[in-house]
Amino acid sequence: MIEVEGLTKRFGSTLAVDDLSFTVKPGAVTGFLGPNGAGKSTTMRAILGLVWPTAGRTAVLGSPYRELDRPARRVGVLLETFDAHPGRSGRNHLRVLASAVGIPRSRVEEVLALVDLTEAGRRRVKGYSLGMRQRLGLAAALLGDPEVLVLDEPANGLDPQGIRWLRGFLRSLASEGRTILISSHVLAEVAQTVDEVVIIHHGKLIRHAAMAEVEAMAAGATRVRSPEADRLAALLIRESVDVRAAGDGRLTVAGTPERVGEIAAANGVVLHELTVERATLEEVFLELTGDDPGERGA
Amino acid sequence: MTNLLGAELLKLRTIRATWGYALAAVGFAGLMTAGNIGSRAELERFDPEFQFKLVLDGLFPAVILALLLGMLLVTNEFRHGTIARTLLVTPRRRILVAVKLLAGTAAGLGLALLTFATTTAVAVIWLSILDVPLELGEAGGGLWRGFLAAALVGTFGAAVGGVVHSQVGALVGTLVWIFVAEPIVWVLLGLVDLDGVSEYLPAATVLGIADSEGEGLSYAATTANLLGWLAVAAVLAAFRTERRDITS
Repeated sequence: MIEVEGLTKRFGSTLAVDDLSFTVKPGAVTGFLGPNGAGKSTTMRAILGLVWPTAGRTAVLGSPYRELDRPARRVGVLLETFDAHPGRSGRNHLRVLASAVGIPRSRVEEVLALVDLTEAGRRRVKGYSLGMRQRLGLAAALLGDPEVLVLDEPANGLDPQGIRWLRGFLRSLASEGRTILISSHVLAEVAQTVDEVVIIHHGKLIRHAAMAEVEAMAAGATRVRSPEADRLAALLIRESVDVRAAGDGRLTVAGTPERVGEIAAANGVVLHELTVERATLEEVFLELTGDDPGERGA
Repeated sequence: MTNLLGAELLKLRTIRATWGYALAAVGFAGLMTAGNIGSRAELERFDPEFQFKLVLDGLFPAVILALLLGMLLVTNEFRHGTIARTLLVTPRRRILVAVKLLAGTAAGLGLALLTFATTTAVAVIWLSILDVPLELGEAGGGLWRGFLAAALVGTFGAAVGGVVHSQVGALVGTLVWIFVAEPIVWVLLGLVDLDGVSEYLPAATVLGIADSEGEGLSYAATTANLLGWLAVAAVLAAFRTERRDITS
């Protein structure tokens, strides 16, 4: 369990996180979403005791991270920034971490094999590709076989096979009852992995919902084309269904195709098109965060 | 705590910079010892006091390099962004500072051991070639001073690194303090007839404890003074590290 209550973090005059509250439940994968600069990394670092909250509190497994006993064995972390010394080999990086918390060296070999870095483990990490660095970070996160995983942009730099592996792996960990929080700025990237989403923007909570609920939002409206569009619109309005004219005999209707079809049939209205207008997950995400893609060119 | 100290020492052993410092310590100690023996008249080489100084002077590079290696122990973490992972493992930051100080002590002792072995090896070989017996028994009594100096200065270096997290800042700042700032303070103190105070300043203390000449403050006073500076630096390091946000 991860708890965030009234978290506020200010860096000088910049408000990075603004009175944010949410809970991450065990046995599920929770996506932590928001555009770049939304405050995701700062929130995660506050959860992990790396930054001091200006106000509010965070807890992992019931305690502030700093007060956990042997936290590296209970909480696995992948940060967005690479955190291994470039001159150290991948294997030695993990050995240092294992040594600090009393994890046997055999576990280092296990996690290296898990992320397919056994061979590359003897090389200095400065020669690693982005994907290899990410896999080394995942190996470090998994070293203590933790109950809680906090992963900041874990799919960054992974190839499609790696992403598929990660997705399945996180699902299997969640099914064992572990608590998993993963951040991303791309909703579609985590849609197949997460059970719940916490969406933030400008440091504020926008939506905390089940993924199924967000997907339902994408189902959207019904598009109708009819040579009798005006008459159909009047009939729909009479039945208390919201209608918007889209030109050229087209209507966008806030109702299911079944309902629209039934009203049209009952009144003998000819239809040329009746389709569900499905928004993409990204469109839902942008709508929720109020982010205009046109403003994000800089 | 033992695990954490072991991990810190493993960190040191698994980067090249440490071995560079070790090599530099061996090189300086060897050159200094050879130079010391070669520059003396034949009779002087038999002098037990010279032999005592020979061994102690051989430890001087260890003391200076311990200061730098101690700083490296902490500043490397911030330079390479490894501090976040270190704090995830050891989130109680005061404990981390204490572990870093202990690692600085161990690093200083390691360098002292290395330079002592080098000095002794060079001295034994060179003096035996010159047919001069090395009476290490004379030096042995005072040898602990060199080891203590390296250990304390290594610890002090780690504390300085804990205060000034930037590697460049710590190294440049230390050099500027030793060669520019503190000499200016000496001059200013001299102007107000407080010359004696300059012996208590940090650079004078570090160089004083590494000096075998025995000028200025007594060894005990210099050691006590260094412990005082160490305590100040350790408290500042704990405070600075405790409050810092790790954002990268």
